[in-house]
Amino acid sequence: MSEEFEPKIVGFLCNWCSYAGADLAGTSRIQYPSNIRVIRVMCSGSVDTVYVNRALLEGADAVLIGGCHPGDCHYLNGNYKARRRMVLMKNILETLGLEPERIWVRWISASEGQKFADTVKEIVERTKEMGPNPMGKRWNV
Amino acid sequence: MAEMMLPIQDGDIKTTVNDLLKGLLRSGKVSAVIAMQETPSGKSAFPTMVSDPEKMDANVFAPLLPVSTGTMISRITKVRGSNKPITVVLRSCEMRALMELVKLNQADLTNVTLIGVDCPGTFPMNTYSSFPGDKTPTEAVLEGGEAEKYMRSACLSCKDPVPENVDVVIGIYGVDLKKGLFIDTRTDAGEKLLEGIELVKTDAKARVKAVEDVRKSKDAVRAKFIEERSDIKGIDKITEFFDTCVNCHNCMKACPICYCKECLFDSSVFDLEANKYVAKAENKGSFKTPTDSMLFHITRFNHMILSCVECGLCEQACPSNIPLMDIIIPIAENAQKEFEYLPGRDSEEKLPMIVYREDEFQDVGEK
Ligand code: SF4
Ligand code: SF4
Ligand code: FES
Repeated sequence: MSEEFEPKIVGFLCNWCSYAGADLAGTSRIQYPSNIRVIRVMCSGSVDTVYVNRALLEGADAVLIGGCHPGDCHYLNGNYKARRRMVLMKNILETLGLEPERIWVRWISASEGQKFADTVKEIVERTKEMGPNPMGKRWNV
Repeated sequence: MAEMMLPIQDGDIKTTVNDLLKGLLRSGKVSAVIAMQETPSGKSAFPTMVSDPEKMDANVFAPLLPVSTGTMISRITKVRGSNKPITVVLRSCEMRALMELVKLNQADLTNVTLIGVDCPGTFPMNTYSSFPGDKTPTEAVLEGGEAEKYMRSACLSCKDPVPENVDVVIGIYGVDLKKGLFIDTRTDAGEKLLEGIELVKTDAKARVKAVEDVRKSKDAVRAKFIEERSDIKGIDKITEFFDTCVNCHNCMKACPICYCKECLFDSSVFDLEANKYVAKAENKGSFKTPTDSMLFHITRFNHMILSCVECGLCEQACPSNIPLMDIIIPIAENAQKEFEYLPGRDSEEKLPMIVYREDEFQDVGEK
């Protein structure tokens, strides 16, 4: 590959915390890679696995689910349920050998702009090491 | 009363059990019985609801699983449970599916008593319909041996052929089938149901040992099955596995615990404007239609695998003969282990995806 691989990351960010954290990173002018496309959701608990699957099958190189810290979910327990759901999803992808490492779950509060920026950096670095998601160019999935 | 034997009349297992069920109707203890009954041609058998004792012609060991009785009980009771007493005869995987449906509020066991039968395994529909040799499929399966080679792979590696969560068990393991069937009444309701039926004492130890043995040998087959398929991994193998999938969703429709009233994949959620498809082609370079086969399968696994009872109905329903159990059994094994969950174990247990513990999976979300 002549050009450096720039991963595409889809981020499902909770309105009440991680999304606000991302916003804060922006307004505080904290630099972070532009690889992430953010989708605002009302709670990490509202992210069904179908969305994560879809992003991966359409060629996202990594997916981030950002939610409130345990105990802080606006809807009390959405993030605990999201956690179970993503554990299950990763478990299934592991059995199928379909790179569960491409799914990231992070608890980032509204005041953690720096953590958001660091998380995106970390994901970009790790994903560059992994290389592009092989599902992206599959026409027969 | 716990471990007893139902003596077999004239060496005829089918009639013996049928008479017992007839008796339940005649005595007025139950208003209806649901049990496997062969169609007149003998080519098939279905869970059949019978209220007229004269029409009772059950063959509870018919080695065929055209549908799950669990699904049928759900259909019959989901609008409203029964006021009248019903007895259902079902096999272990059907019992497990039924328990999962109860947890999903899609089946109501009010006034329902369950008789579980040991399952010797089932054949694919077409094998059953034109069974090779002189024996009937039922005779062949009860004799064991030879019949195994025709059995569905789900049955060969069955998770547990002996039903647990029932009021009465009718057993074939650990008894001399020329003499009798093992009867285990496990609940008060079961005891009441069998009141007045003549049973003889039998050797409980032989039963315990036989059940242990059959479970052990099935576990071994299942472990080997999983081991032998451990190379179906990675994007190349998985896409190849589903290459012949025509995205008909039959697997989902046949599945007893695929619980949604309307599947997301049958809804209009995926109906996009033509421009979106063109954008997809531009993004990926090309894509096959129908789209989203893999998305369907992986999403389906995420939604139902923790409740999967490994009945193999999905595989049986597939028009492309995709050996779905080859990947479903390993996925179910690993996922259910992760959540320490066994579908059908306990109807009071909550489904793993609706509960949580604060102190679990704590590394997820942090690092
Ligand atoms: S996924 Fe297949 S094996 Fe599992 S319960 Fe559904 S139909 Fe049965
Ligand atoms: S039944 Fe077979 S062909 Fe139809 S969707 Fe399921 S796997 Fe694909
Ligand atoms: S509201 Fe933020 S995770 Fe539920």
